[in-house]
Amino acid sequence: MASKPVQTPKFIVRAVLVGAMAIALAVLPAFIDPYTLRIATGALMWAGLACAWNIVGGYAGYISFGHSAFFGIGAYTTATLMQSDVGASFFITLLPAIVLAIAVAVAIGGPTMRLRGAYFAIATWAFAEMLLQLVTVLDFTGGTAGLSLPAYLNEFFFYYTMLIAAAASFVGVWLLIEHSRFGFRIKALRDDEPAAESLGIRTNLVKVQSFALSAAITALFGSIYAYWTTYIDPHSVMGPEITDQMVVMVLLGGLGTVWGPALGAVLLWVTNRYIWSTFGDTVIYLPILGVIIALVVLFLPNGLISLLVGRQRGKELISSILSKL
Amino acid sequence: MDLFLQTLINGILIGGILICLTIGFQLTFGVLHVIDFAVGGWAMLGGYTAYWLVTLAGIDPFISIFLVFALFLLIGRGLGPLIYRVRTSRYARPDLMALAFTFGLFLFMRGGALWLWSYNSRSVESVLSGQFLSLGPVTIPLMRLSAFLMALLFSLGLFILLYRSRFGMAVRALAQNRDHAGLMGVDVKRVSAWVYGIYAGLTASAGVLIATIYSVNPTVGIRYTLFAFFVAVLAGLGSVGGVLVAGLALGLLEAYVATYIGARYSLLIVFGTLYLALLVAPKGVLGRGI
Repeated sequence: MASKPVQTPKFIVRAVLVGAMAIALAVLPAFIDPYTLRIATGALMWAGLACAWNIVGGYAGYISFGHSAFFGIGAYTTATLMQSDVGASFFITLLPAIVLAIAVAVAIGGPTMRLRGAYFAIATWAFAEMLLQLVTVLDFTGGTAGLSLPAYLNEFFFYYTMLIAAAASFVGVWLLIEHSRFGFRIKALRDDEPAAESLGIRTNLVKVQSFALSAAITALFGSIYAYWTTYIDPHSVMGPEITDQMVVMVLLGGLGTVWGPALGAVLLWVTNRYIWSTFGDTVIYLPILGVIIALVVLFLPNGLISLLVGRQRGKELISSILSKL
Repeated sequence: MDLFLQTLINGILIGGILICLTIGFQLTFGVLHVIDFAVGGWAMLGGYTAYWLVTLAGIDPFISIFLVFALFLLIGRGLGPLIYRVRTSRYARPDLMALAFTFGLFLFMRGGALWLWSYNSRSVESVLSGQFLSLGPVTIPLMRLSAFLMALLFSLGLFILLYRSRFGMAVRALAQNRDHAGLMGVDVKRVSAWVYGIYAGLTASAGVLIATIYSVNPTVGIRYTLFAFFVAVLAGLGSVGGVLVAGLALGLLEAYVATYIGARYSLLIVFGTLYLALLVAPKGVLGRGI
């Protein structure tokens, strides 16, 4: 492992900030009502999902429109194994869920990631739609009626499970991608694939590894989500809206950054819940998401995080936005 | 045997409409190098426009299709410069940014339609609805036959424009090499914007035809985006000629699956075939180029 020179003051500031955030998140449930706790749990889940999507979309530079498939694989594996005729306990179902997601990611990613990015985007999208159709016609998934899980009504349990899963995802990405050779390989292939290949990086292997890692994290959250909501149907865990949200959250926060996806996820999720509680439904949320994507692509391609990190860069961006208006 | 023939006819008739749905998409990819997720969105909005025109003004869809074409030609022409700007910007990955942009556009269309018109399906009535033509053992709904002919008319119009006009020559030059075309005096921005307009107009017109045959609701867009992707991938991205073969292939595939295996499996098999096609022939059956 290449050791990096540690810039002491900046490093300490960051460590203090992250530590403070960890403590705040750990004690948060003691201070908020159950409804807010549910929103916080959801925010943690979406932060983790955005982090997972970012591995492929942000770091490897392959936009996947099929991540709802992995979320659904996780949810359906847990739900199927927890039915009374199998009766597995929750934590045991996580392993097959993750293994299945990795196997599927390798099967899909292996061939399609050799092609250009656009084909990968189409293939993942087609695959997700196919899987949605499949769970709708199969018997053991309950078809359109869906599946019920044994209810476990302990909001604290789910908050902390989501917190641990999200924290693990972020630490994993931070270690594996920001501070390892694997991370350099991923970024190298994103920035210039032929050049990376000529330097001896096995780009196909790295791409598939990153896709599998991303799929595994997505499936993990799918599993927890299924147990949390206690009832799943094809559209609630495999619908295109899940992928839509993941993509928008990462784009809004900042592609290929550690904290950008978390920022985008929390902002959008809280907005979503606010619209839901104010207007009673979230259909209006979809066109808003669409407008956000278009605006971010046009004016803020590096995401909101670019406004915070490096104030000079942020100022430049704001002035460039104003000059375009 | 009768059933086989009937399915063959149905497949060909739907295939013609799929050609019209995809041909503009291919042109956009060839010229702008943009994969447009919104293709199904344009078709859905075209269907709704025809629905409102027949419901409020009583204009038959086979006449209003020309209005729809003109309307979406202008909308697309207005949107074209934005797409062009994203695609030619100096971001790290302009191709993926353009993909994300059209994805946002599609989300906006789908979400906006859901918000305005909710999930209800609406059928577009025409004077030809419910009339049939009997040819020996097969019956052909007049509606489908006219929609097929109309789709061919639009596609033929595009080919004439591409190969028999100065504008078409500029478009083909752009598809071959954008920089060189620019050096030869082609106004790259303007031609690209008009190409996007023509694409939006053609796709919305295909959407009118689809809405008259089936019906339209805000979520059909996803289905038709995938159909367009299927045809485009099978034909080879950017290949306008390949669409003629691939569109018919998808029409026939869907018709035979619906007749012999079951309609609820048709989407599953169509998507599965698309996936396999991507693996086996990623460059398409006829290769690239306009």
